Amino acid sequence: MDELMQILENLRPDVDFENETALITNGVLDSFDIVALVGELNDEFDIEIKPNNLIPENFNSAKAMWAMIEKLQDE
Amino acid sequence: METSVLNRLDKTAAAFPDKVMFRDETAEITFGEFDRLTKSVGTYLAQRVPAGAPIAVMSGRHILTPSCFLGAVRAGCFYAPMDGDMPQTRLNQIIGVIRADFMLVDRAHLETAQKLDFDGEIIVFEDIRDTEPDEALLAAREKTLGCTSPLYVIFTSGSTGVPKGVITSHQSLMTYIDSVAKVLGINSDDTLGNQSPLDYIAAVRDIYFPVSFGASTYIIPKNEFAVPTTLFDTLNREKITALCWSVAGVELPAKLGAFDVGKPEYLKKLCFSGSVMPCKYLKIWQEHLPDVLYVNQYGPTEATASCTYYVVKEKVTDDTVLPIGTPYDNYHVMLLSEDNTATPQGETGEICVSGPILALGYYGNKEQTEKSFLQNPLNDNYRELIYKTGDLGHFDENGILHFHGRKDRQIKHLGHRIELGEIEETAKKIAGVTDCCALYYKDKATLYLFYVGPATSKEIVLYFRQNMPAFMVPRKLINLEALPTLPNGKTDMQTLKSYFK
Repeated sequence: MDELMQILENLRPDVDFENETALITNGVLDSFDIVALVGELNDEFDIEIKPNNLIPENFNSAKAMWAMIEKLQDE
Repeated sequence: METSVLNRLDKTAAAFPDKVMFRDETAEITFGEFDRLTKSVGTYLAQRVPAGAPIAVMSGRHILTPSCFLGAVRAGCFYAPMDGDMPQTRLNQIIGVIRADFMLVDRAHLETAQKLDFDGEIIVFEDIRDTEPDEALLAAREKTLGCTSPLYVIFTSGSTGVPKGVITSHQSLMTYIDSVAKVLGINSDDTLGNQSPLDYIAAVRDIYFPVSFGASTYIIPKNEFAVPTTLFDTLNREKITALCWSVAGVELPAKLGAFDVGKPEYLKKLCFSGSVMPCKYLKIWQEHLPDVLYVNQYGPTEATASCTYYVVKEKVTDDTVLPIGTPYDNYHVMLLSEDNTATPQGETGEICVSGPILALGYYGNKEQTEKSFLQNPLNDNYRELIYKTGDLGHFDENGILHFHGRKDRQIKHLGHRIELGEIEETAKKIAGVTDCCALYYKDKATLYLFYVGPATSKEIVLYFRQNMPAFMVPRKLINLEALPTLPNGKTDMQTLKSYFK
């Protein structure tokens, strides 16, 4: 989780990832943030985020992203 | 001959009164309703504003925004669209250039508008939308318009740190719209899927294909581009037949694997522009949609965002570099060498363009205008202005134009045009930055800022987020003891580029 927070912090230091829970739904992260993020998460956690994983529920909060990463690592 | 885009709106509104013109996530508007709205807005404005005045418009990503634009035109005025999501500093810069006495906003942007350094009158669209149209007044205002009257002013990055307002006339816009519609075969059966922000030049097709030909446009919600599976579902639900997107927008679904789960079933035409298309992504589109017409468009805002086009007939591979093709109808394109002579065929020169699509210049900026729009040095016989694009290219033996990058430090990032000099000017305003150099790592589409000084990268990014559009925020910041220099004292950019990773 610390690693993830570090990536998010570097990507968008202006966003409060601890508390924000509608990152996609409220348009805090835009499509270009997501493209950059997906690439970094795939590399960093050795996972493959598929189009089916790209739903708002998986990216709306740091917690949800972490849950998705753990799930993909188990697969 | 048409005198303004209003001729077109009058015709399509009469021909398709009950057809949907614009739709978004929550609402739709027919041609008849749209026409009526523009007349209400136009009447209200005409009662207060002289003809020929600029109207600043700040309105969101929804169906009513185009009616604000055309409402200003009905009043005999021209519009300057502003993106309310942009930081206040940026909006204030735009206001400083356009110096409008009136700003038209939707209610959602009223608070933002009130915080700006704007001393004119703010008009809320929702308050005036039911104004009874005064046909006589509107007819008198329409009479003041001619095809060379300004239609809109759209802002683009300027290397000195102040955005430049490019003025487009009715004639330029109509010339471009007709030329591109001919290539794409646009008609009233088409439904467009709008990607570009409505205040941005790339949206003119999504607005004026309906106005000109009775096509419809669906305004795609912005956050759907982050969710590619939903994006394709939307294109199919809305039966979208034509897309005029930035290259960055076309890349996205291919990059995020959207074709693994679906494809746009109704799509027939795809025009992309704004930067060089990486063909590994276009290949994915072609594999899944072999029958779609793919058009690569090239051109600067100063020539109504266009110049040449190339219809992609071949099957592309990862390494294909697409030509930028041949000029649109009514565009004249030529190459000039450094000494202002004609570039011989096959050799590389600066791409220059002339014709009725040339912008009227930069708003309120005579100096920049005269620097960029010049008498054709090859023509001693009569007045012929050309725009020097700063782009390099060569014509092959078949008269097809190929693109070879920039002469200067302008880049294309995420579909937007950016002067690296403007990034540097902005960074230098931060207290902890004493020196800096902005560079673009094209392979990874990443904006780098190398800087000297005690500022933290977080401080710098926060400053940019507060003062600049999102696409101008550097993604990678590298703190150095000093910038490397060449023997002549200039920054050694090649060494800096070796730090890209």
